[in-house]
Amino acid sequence: MTDSPENPSGSTGTYGRPPYSDPSRFSAAQDELLLQRVRAREQKAMTDLFERYGSMVYSVALRVLKDPGHAEDVMQDVFFNLWENPRSFVSSRGSLGAWLLVVARNRAIDALRRRKPSDPVDEVVLPAKTNLASDVERNTIMEKVRLVMNGLPPDQQKSLQLAFFEGLSHSEIAAQTGDPLGTVKTRIRTALISVRKAIQA
Amino acid sequence: MTDDRHIPQEELALHAMQALSGEESAAVRLHLAGCAECREQLAEIAGDLALVAMSVEQQAVPEGTRQRFVDRITAKPAGLPAPAEQPARTPVISIAREKKAPRSWMWVPWTAVAALLILSTVLGVKIFQMNQQLDSEDALLRQEERLIQRQNGENIRAQALLDVLTAPTAQRVTLTTGKNPPAPSARAVYLPSRGALVMQASNMQPLPPNKTYELWVIPASGAPIPAGLFRPDASGSGSIVLPSIPQGVQAKAFGITIENAGGSNTPTLPIVLSGTAPVGGE
Repeated sequence: MTDSPENPSGSTGTYGRPPYSDPSRFSAAQDELLLQRVRAREQKAMTDLFERYGSMVYSVALRVLKDPGHAEDVMQDVFFNLWENPRSFVSSRGSLGAWLLVVARNRAIDALRRRKPSDPVDEVVLPAKTNLASDVERNTIMEKVRLVMNGLPPDQQKSLQLAFFEGLSHSEIAAQTGDPLGTVKTRIRTALISVRKAIQA
Repeated sequence: MTDDRHIPQEELALHAMQALSGEESAAVRLHLAGCAECREQLAEIAGDLALVAMSVEQQAVPEGTRQRFVDRITAKPAGLPAPAEQPARTPVISIAREKKAPRSWMWVPWTAVAALLILSTVLGVKIFQMNQQLDSEDALLRQEERLIQRQNGENIRAQALLDVLTAPTAQRVTLTTGKNPPAPSARAVYLPSRGALVMQASNMQPLPPNKTYELWVIPASGAPIPAGLFRPDASGSGSIVLPSIPQGVQAKAFGITIENAGGSNTPTLPIVLSGTAPVGGE
């Protein structure tokens, strides 16, 4: 169950509406339609979302926790919470796929660091014209991000990895790398800017 | 960090990853509650983080994961009611189907068949119109829903701001350069066009039970306007958040006096703390 094939006509109830000519726009619109049906307590729509984004969410949780059982727990919780409270994601702005990823990362870090749950994630806005709902585009983005991450200067790469995947605070990173706090902050921000630029290019 | 300058992007990125200390994060949260621009920046940085999350090697989920999820949502249906828009479509379809296949059509005279055809055409047009109407109502509902969600988000942030400012358990710390005990001070933030005022006082002298501190907006012309009462807590801190004052009053200065409990309509000298408002403010 990686990325399930999309189901353009069968499950969305969009009869009577014109088909979208842009496939990526169609997929993003499908997220919104699925969410509407989730809000209407339709279990099939929720499992469709689970199939669409489950693998991506599981993968980031596994990267953080390094334990398949714990990673599945996080994944299940992320989707179950969306099912219980579908309005926690505001679809007027931002991408559902990206939001799920950030929520999953935060929950995994909370579990890893055994700390109280993080703040709720409000909005997650991807660079313009980036669409995680489309399988094809998602794979292209993944390749681009991996490429740019691997090409970052080692210091930037390490600071970003420690903060994002290990959940270390900037002072913990500074203590571990022996760098000043300001340097750690700048490295992380510079690395994020590089990632964004690579996607926008 | 909370009023006159935005959060640097470096700190927003750390905040988004919970990589700041508790105090630093609290200050960022406080600023975010009142700054739409920084919230926009944070949302974009969160987008960058989502991209970083996509750099991980994609793994297949363990066997049975989907079924376990289905079992979980089936076992405990959530309590939210279904929106009214969804069931509305089903009857429309079922009516149309029934009209297409009457069971005893072979026995109906041709005139009746013609009448039925006309009727079904009329119904078809009606159903089409109703569907179109439903579509536009759906769109309107979705638009309203989004507005309400956004408004709710703003309300939550506003409430968070008020909670931080007014919670008795909130830690209030005055930062100074030397080791001398800090002097009484207060900071007022005022938006004249909305009549919105927030004041936080620190290191205030304790008061006898029958006295209170009172804040005053001193306008460019006219009498001082009472802007709320406060008594300092054990650490000398006190605050006034959004007192009931008129809108559109340009302030020349702010002052704090000691008044009898219950407050006064005119300030009693001396003014224990005062500050001149800078020119401007909308």
